[in-house]
Amino acid sequence: MLNGIPLFWYLIVSAALFCIGLYGVMARKNTIAMLMGVELMLNAVNINLIAFWRYVTPKSTAGLAFAAFIFVVAAAEAAVGLGLIISVYRNTRSVDPEKIDSLKL
Amino acid sequence: MILTIQQILFIVIALVVLISAVLVVTTRNLFHAALFLVVSFFGVAGFYVLLDAGFFAAVQVMIYIGAISILFIFAVMLTRDVITSARGNSQWIAAAVVAAAIFIIAAILLGPAALIIRGREFGNVQWSDPNGPAATSATVIGDLGRGLVSFNQYAVPFLLGAVLLLVAMVGAIWVARERRSRDMAAERAAAAADDIGSDTDQPVQEELPLPDNSMATEKH
Repeated sequence: MLNGIPLFWYLIVSAALFCIGLYGVMARKNTIAMLMGVELMLNAVNINLIAFWRYVTPKSTAGLAFAAFIFVVAAAEAAVGLGLIISVYRNTRSVDPEKIDSLKL
Repeated sequence: MILTIQQILFIVIALVVLISAVLVVTTRNLFHAALFLVVSFFGVAGFYVLLDAGFFAAVQVMIYIGAISILFIFAVMLTRDVITSARGNSQWIAAAVVAAAIFIIAAILLGPAALIIRGREFGNVQWSDPNGPAATSATVIGDLGRGLVSFNQYAVPFLLGAVLLLVAMVGAIWVARERRSRDMAAERAAAAADDIGSDTDQPVQEELPLPDNSMATEKH
């Protein structure tokens, strides 16, 4: 189903998605929203991996294996990150990253 | 220039993905942000279909939409006091500038237009055949499955991934568990004792039930 879609279309869209996620991580005032930005960035990486697999080495499975491991890492990261956020929220009633500073000297 | 069906589909999906992603990072209500995240994940699954990776489209729908975004919605609902938050923090302008700059650099490096700086040409990389090789058979997914359990290929990373998921699950339950109020009270008493002890040496310190404290800390 590649008829006429050049590879760089995928690369540009995934670069845009990555940068939107990066903006979300840097600019949001809520830790959950920052994690959403991280998920967008991981999705951008996965689009790139699968697009390169399809256009460059469709007979090898390396690109697909990398994408599968990114799924695993994303699931683990979301579970641990949200667990941490809920624990912090229980103790401080806040999820503002600027207020979570109990490790600061 | 007439667009093919696939190109039109690509453009529609790309617009859906990018617009909902922008809404994810700008909406004030976090619940709406989580729902837009689901829309964005659906669009990415559409990309996988266009890329002949139907298996990964299904995995995307099951893992990202079925599991991760549900986790996000749970987290948003469990922190309802702060469900709306400011659109950005004090550095959002700098963040937007950095993100836009990175995107422009990436677009120049990846796109078909070459940028010439002092006689050196940047960008315009020729990525193999612009239309890609012919579609492969469905055996690639079977090869991937066999590769994941074959020690010549990805068996070790596969097992490490399994261990990672187990550790993440146990760790998430451990970190986010509800603590009993008695333990919390004991901890607070211990913390207060530490504070008092470091500030001034007062006899209050002796009244605290020390054995209880040590038990409470052992439990954690």
